[in-house]
Amino acid sequence: MKVRNGILKGELKVEGGKLIKCLIKLKDNKIEEIRFSGDFFMYPEEKLEEIEKALKNVSIEEIEEIFDTSFKNVEIIGATKEDFINLLKQLIEKD
Amino acid sequence: MEFRLILHEHRNAYENMAIDEAILKKGVPTLRFYKWNPSAISIGYFQSILEEVDLEECKKNGIDVVRRITGGGAVYHDREGEITYSFVCSEKLFPNILESYRIICRCLAKGLHHIGLNAEHTGINDIVVNGRKISGSAQTRRYGNILQHGTILKKVNVKKMFSLLKVSKEKISDKKIKSVEDRVTSIEREGIEANDNEIIEGIVKGFKEVMNIKFYKADLSKEEIKIAENLRRKYESKEWNFKR
Repeated sequence: MKVRNGILKGELKVEGGKLIKCLIKLKDNKIEEIRFSGDFFMYPEEKLEEIEKALKNVSIEEIEEIFDTSFKNVEIIGATKEDFINLLKQLIEKD
Repeated sequence: MEFRLILHEHRNAYENMAIDEAILKKGVPTLRFYKWNPSAISIGYFQSILEEVDLEECKKNGIDVVRRITGGGAVYHDREGEITYSFVCSEKLFPNILESYRIICRCLAKGLHHIGLNAEHTGINDIVVNGRKISGSAQTRRYGNILQHGTILKKVNVKKMFSLLKVSKEKISDKKIKSVEDRVTSIEREGIEANDNEIIEGIVKGFKEVMNIKFYKADLSKEEIKIAENLRRKYESKEWNFKR
């Protein structure tokens, strides 16, 4: 679903788990801005801000690699790392 | 194992969240019960306030809105419709997150049995009675300690809850309200007559039995009060509440 000002918005309800929402703004096929939200649990919580920072100026091909390197020592309850990656990829590929 | 038991009456949303974090910070093993005045919405740490909450409707109804330090979903804390608990202990007691949810929720479910409810823990953080949700909890781990807090529904008003939360308005058909009403219950709806003291006594008993905890009644320490006063400013701030 596309919303205003070139911002893409999507969500993923994890089966038996929680809801992940994502807003992204793309520029030249790279992520310019990104924000995840939702009712999942993540420990430590600050990791989400770290991954959002790490994903800036990243192309779709690099997303998985960024998650692998930046999403270490994090425990997600109600979703998985792959759910975040899939939501992001679906959103960008749909654009 | 000794735990402090704190029985608080109504406080506002910002004070309540500040007190929970102050207790978490100091790490004195504690079970606290409290209520919210004015009624409030708390949103999960990762939620977007603008996406989840109808701020205009909240303002109109004098409802406070606060971001929690814990993940999870948005909750409507009705002034008289629920009791909130918070539980703090060392992380060492429960290294495994899911296991800690299981044990704490088992204490709550057992506690609700004592007031006559056939309650059981389901999923990650819910307690249901006959398949309908009566309690939800959320947990964080900081400063080497665990904070789990959650709500126990005494009365439920799905229509009011929906009017304050941003469930896309066109979707709030009577049918949708009906379907949520079918999935949620409360102590009152289950036909149980129990006052706050009886509910709290039951839950305390649940913790005693499941975790073999001994309780002593006490209030916050001077240091915790001071920490909470400082933290209250964070919970009142736009910077915190609108961070997502």
